[in-house]
Amino acid sequence: MKRSTPYPTLVYPALIALALCAVSAALVGAAAPDFTATASNGKTVRLSDYRGKFVVLEWHNNGCPFVRKQYNSGNMQKLQKQWTSQGVVWFTILSSAPGKQGYATASEENDYMAKMQAAPTAALLDPTGAIGHLYDAKTSPHMFVINPQGVVIYDGAIDDKPTPDLNDVPGATNYVSLALQQAMAGKQVETAATRPYGCSVKYADATH
Amino acid sequence: MRWSDGCAELYRVLIGGAALLLCAASAHAEATPIPHGTLELIAQNQSIVAGQTIDLGLHFQLEKGWHIYWTNPGDSGEPPRVEWQLPAGLTAGSIEWPTPQRLGTSTIVDYGYENAVLLIVPMNAEASLTEQQPVRLGAKIRLLVCSHEMCLPGKADISLTLPAKSQPSALDARTADLFAAARKSLPRSPPQNWRFSLADAKDSFMLSANLGRRITQAIFFPLAESQIENAAPQNLQPSATGFQMTLRKSAQLVKPIERLKGVLVLSGGQGYLIDLPLSKPRAPKGKAATISGSTHYNSY
Repeated sequence: MKRSTPYPTLVYPALIALALCAVSAALVGAAAPDFTATASNGKTVRLSDYRGKFVVLEWHNNGCPFVRKQYNSGNMQKLQKQWTSQGVVWFTILSSAPGKQGYATASEENDYMAKMQAAPTAALLDPTGAIGHLYDAKTSPHMFVINPQGVVIYDGAIDDKPTPDLNDVPGATNYVSLALQQAMAGKQVETAATRPYGCSVKYADATH
Repeated sequence: MRWSDGCAELYRVLIGGAALLLCAASAHAEATPIPHGTLELIAQNQSIVAGQTIDLGLHFQLEKGWHIYWTNPGDSGEPPRVEWQLPAGLTAGSIEWPTPQRLGTSTIVDYGYENAVLLIVPMNAEASLTEQQPVRLGAKIRLLVCSHEMCLPGKADISLTLPAKSQPSALDARTADLFAAARKSLPRSPPQNWRFSLADAKDSFMLSANLGRRITQAIFFPLAESQIENAAPQNLQPSATGFQMTLRKSAQLVKPIERLKGVLVLSGGQGYLIDLPLSKPRAPKGKAATISGSTHYNSY
C-alpha cells in the first residue's frame, strides 16, 4: 500500500493483529454491520432504520438442497410468519451472483415468494455479494439475529440437523427461534454461535 | 422464473446422468448415475471370504468442476452418507477417507474431492458364513455434489454380488490399481521420531513440528468441525527442524478444546494423521506463546 504513514511503524502489526481478531471473532456481541439494499419489492432498505426491533437475516439460495428442505417443508415460511407477527423484521438475502444457483431478479424472487407463500419482511437482492461478505455469510441458509440495540445475538445454522433431508425438520431444535425466545424474555442467548450448514454462498468471486 | 430453472436443471442432470450411464455401461455395467458423475461399488477381491475382512470401495467419478466432500466438509456441504444393506454375517467398517483437497475461496473453504475418488470401506465376513450362494452387498448413498456455481443432492442405490468362499480369495485385477492408488492417498501415522505440539495463542493455535528438516509447505485439515477457521490463511514459519503454523480458532469455538485432530499434508501430497493435546499454559510459557503468536502476525 502506497500511503503516507499516519502511525508509527510499530503500530501496524498491532493494527493487523486487531483486524485479524475482528475477522476471527464471531459477529456475536458486535454491532451488526449496517447496509443499504434494494428489496425485490423495489424499496430501499437500510438496516439501521430498524433499530428498536429484532431483525433476522436469512441467507437464501432457492436451488440449494438445504434451503429447499426448509421451504418445501414449509418450515421457513412458518418461522417467517410466526416471528414477523410478533414484530420481528425478517430479511431474506440473496447473495448468489448472476448465472449461479440462487440468483434471482426482483420479479423472479417475487414469483418465487408468491409460489412458496414466503413471508419475510422483504427479500434483499445482493448479487454483488457485498452484504454477504459484510456478514461473512458462508452458507445457505446462514442465519443471524440482531437485537433492538443493533447487536448481533445469533450467528450460525438454522437448526441442529445439518442435512438436506425433509424428515429432519420436525425433530430439529431451531436456533433462531431459541435465540429470539430467550432474548425477548430478557435472557442471555445460550447458543449464540453455531456452525452454519448448507451450500456455500455462490458469490461472484467464488472460483477454485 | 427460478423454479422452472430448477426443473430445467433437474432434467439436465437426469439426461446427463442417463448419457453417462450409457457411456459407462460398456466399461462397468454397475456404475450408477449421480449428479454430474457416476458411482460404483467395487471390491478389491474376487470373493467374500468367511472369517476375513476384504476391502470394498465407493468409486466416485465426477465431471470437471464438481466435487464431493470429506468427512469434515469444512465451511459448507456434507460428506456422502452410506446406509448398508447386508446379509446376516457381514459387517461394514467405517469409510477410510483419503487426504482431501482444500476447495473454495478466500472466505469459504471446503474440504473434498474433485474428479475421482475411491472411498475404501472394510467389509468383515463372519467365520460362519457359508459358501453355497453369492452374497449381495448393497448400499443406499445420499450425497451432495457441488460446483462453485451450484449444489445438487444425489441419491444412489448401489450393489455388488460376490461369491462367498472359505479359501483366501484372489485380488480382482480390474480394481487393483484403483485400490492401490486409494491406499496411497490415505493419511498415515507420522514417523515415530517426528514431534508435534499445540499451544494456545489467544485467537489461534500454534502447531509446532519437529521433523528433523526444514519444512516450507504444509496444510492442515481439521477432522472436527468448528475448531479452526477453515478460510483463514495457515501461516507457516519454517524452522531448521520443521515449522510453526498458525491456525486461527473458529468463530464458533465457544469451549476450549482439549485436542486437535487432523491431517497434515506436506509438499508432495502425503498426509499424516495427527492427534495433539493442547498444551496446558504455564505462567511464563503461556505468555511466551502469546508473544510468538504476535510475532506471526507481524509477518503478515
